[in-house]
Amino acid sequence: MAKGFDVRRLPGFASVALLTIALLYVPIVILVVFSFNDSISQSQWAGFSMRWYETAMNNATVRDVSIRSLWLAGVSAGFATVLATLAALGTTRVGRFPGQTMIYALINQPLMVPEIVTGIALLIVVAFVKVQTGYTGMGYMVLAHTAFCIPFAYLPIRARLETLDPNLEIAAADLYAGPVRAFWHITLPLLVPGIMAGFMLGFVTSLDTVVITEFVKSAGQETLPTYMLGQIRRSTTPEMNAVATLFLLLSLVFVTAFFLITRKRG
Amino acid sequence: MSAEIEISGLSKVFGQGAGAFHALSGIYLTIETGEFFTLLGPSGCGKTTLLRMIAGFEQPTAGTLRINGEEVAGKGPNARPVNTVFQNYALFPHMSVRDNIGFGLKMLGRPRAEVAATVDEMLRLVRMEAMATRKPSELSGGQQQRVALARALAPRPRVLLLDEPLSALDLKLRKEMQSELKRLQVETGITFVFVTHDQEEALTMSDRIAVMNAGRILQLGTPHEIYNTPSDRFVAGFIGDTNVLSLAVASSGVDGVTLAVPGAGTLPAASLDGLTLLVGQTVTAVVRPEQARLCPLAEADLTATLEQTVFFGTDTHLHLRLADGQGFILRRQNAADEVDPAPGDRLGLRLARGALRVLRD
Ligand SMILES: Nc1ncnc2c1ncn2[C@@H]1O[C@H](COP(=O)(O)OP(=O)(O)O)[C@@H](O)[C@H]1O
Ligand SMILES: [Mg+2]
Repeated sequence: MAKGFDVRRLPGFASVALLTIALLYVPIVILVVFSFNDSISQSQWAGFSMRWYETAMNNATVRDVSIRSLWLAGVSAGFATVLATLAALGTTRVGRFPGQTMIYALINQPLMVPEIVTGIALLIVVAFVKVQTGYTGMGYMVLAHTAFCIPFAYLPIRARLETLDPNLEIAAADLYAGPVRAFWHITLPLLVPGIMAGFMLGFVTSLDTVVITEFVKSAGQETLPTYMLGQIRRSTTPEMNAVATLFLLLSLVFVTAFFLITRKRG
Repeated sequence: MSAEIEISGLSKVFGQGAGAFHALSGIYLTIETGEFFTLLGPSGCGKTTLLRMIAGFEQPTAGTLRINGEEVAGKGPNARPVNTVFQNYALFPHMSVRDNIGFGLKMLGRPRAEVAATVDEMLRLVRMEAMATRKPSELSGGQQQRVALARALAPRPRVLLLDEPLSALDLKLRKEMQSELKRLQVETGITFVFVTHDQEEALTMSDRIAVMNAGRILQLGTPHEIYNTPSDRFVAGFIGDTNVLSLAVASSGVDGVTLAVPGAGTLPAASLDGLTLLVGQTVTAVVRPEQARLCPLAEADLTATLEQTVFFGTDTHLHLRLADGQGFILRRQNAADEVDPAPGDRLGLRLARGALRVLRD
């Protein structure tokens, strides 16, 4: 970049930046503020109150869908992380082979194919299998979420693997470790931050997705986001603001943890 | 002495077809037990490749490799009695110094108490007792180097391979580690195969040196042999400073060769066995800068005009020009009572006996 060039001196830069930030955060701030409103109004401030949080906490459905969401995200992200770790090892810890780039692209399917397309495709297949087998349990949801989470888990794991000095594994072999023990004592422990980051990202992804769940779920399998969507469609109550705020908080915790893990020893 | 490593007809080709690259061709080499052996050559000449094949990280394209009399083809690095000190150390970042050093013994399944005792001994050997619980990232470059050495020595390998282990260190530390390495080699009696592109390092540390270029070994010998009787122009130029002259053969017979020296008569020259020289033929001859000295013109082997003097502290380089225009550098130790000649002076030079050597081009 040319010396002395400073983007801050461009005319209008500051206003555009401010506008962008406002667009990103003002609606969220309003949502959060009104979750504490002592009134059912979404536009008139009537003083601070925790009543909507109390309502939400006492709402059995909110509790049920939250637990289902967390359970589903944990299980799916867990499976996705294991598969993503294997995929990352398979694409970096082998000699170059034909079709390597292709496989990389294939693993990242959910990043490239529009979510709605995947959703519809899943709907068709899952509906067919449900009819054929009669099974309508959570298995479909776990499978769909796992597949959807893999690339999000894969990316940080692969990034971590690529920064690992391949000489470390060679050194382990030189010091009489067979391939399995070299992996167990050297590669895996060094990969842990990547694996944790992958899990976090997969977890948040599963927690967030509306589309995949919407198309795959059977009756009684609402997750927190699809439940919220359903509620909002009927009427907007500050109770949903409170639920949304809690949801936001949970997401933030995981995303922050992800950044802290990936930044360390970056 | 017995042969520790015997390499015969070894070659390594990377890639295939038109893109094939011959990293090593026809390497024959015997390394003796307990020897400090150095592979010396410019970057890219195949030193690391050769070392990696001894370690088992790379399989040869052709040829055989024996360690302690046993053919090791097809054996992985974990099945060879050989350990490596990597150029970038490759210490395990998540393990303490102690665990790094003990790793090899642990993998060999040695009892805990034995591992602990050996690690203590190694820590003492490399003088790192105080750092045992630190992580590699908390160590300086020189300290990491010591840990890498201790880690590779702990399993008591028959052979220690060292790939430019000192190149990342600054000059002072490098000198320190050079004598440290030499001490360790003598104390442990382990065969060291040391890779460097630094000729001075090779000369000061090695029992024997293999000079390599472009995937081949050009000369194999003691530091004295390599320095004093280089076999060809590349070796002469790579090891130390040298004057390379084009001179005509004046006579060639059973009692030796003489070369015509510009502006003077003829001088006897040493030549390589088996080199046929015809009278009148122009050959390449070399003289080390310190093997010529100034003398009165009447006693001179050859005369030259001084162009420039360059001061180096302990010695001074005189840049001279011979009668036929060829350049010549003379190195003179500095002494307090000597006066340096001035540029433009015509000076007489005397060469040490056997200093003038005819080389293969
Ligand atoms: N895996 C490889 N594939 C292709 N070429 C290689 C490979 N490893 C080394 N080479 C080539 O072989 C030559 C010798 O390399 P190397 O043994 O590392 O040299 P040195 O250690 O003497 O600097 C270099 O030209 C290098 O590019
Ligand atoms: Mg090298």
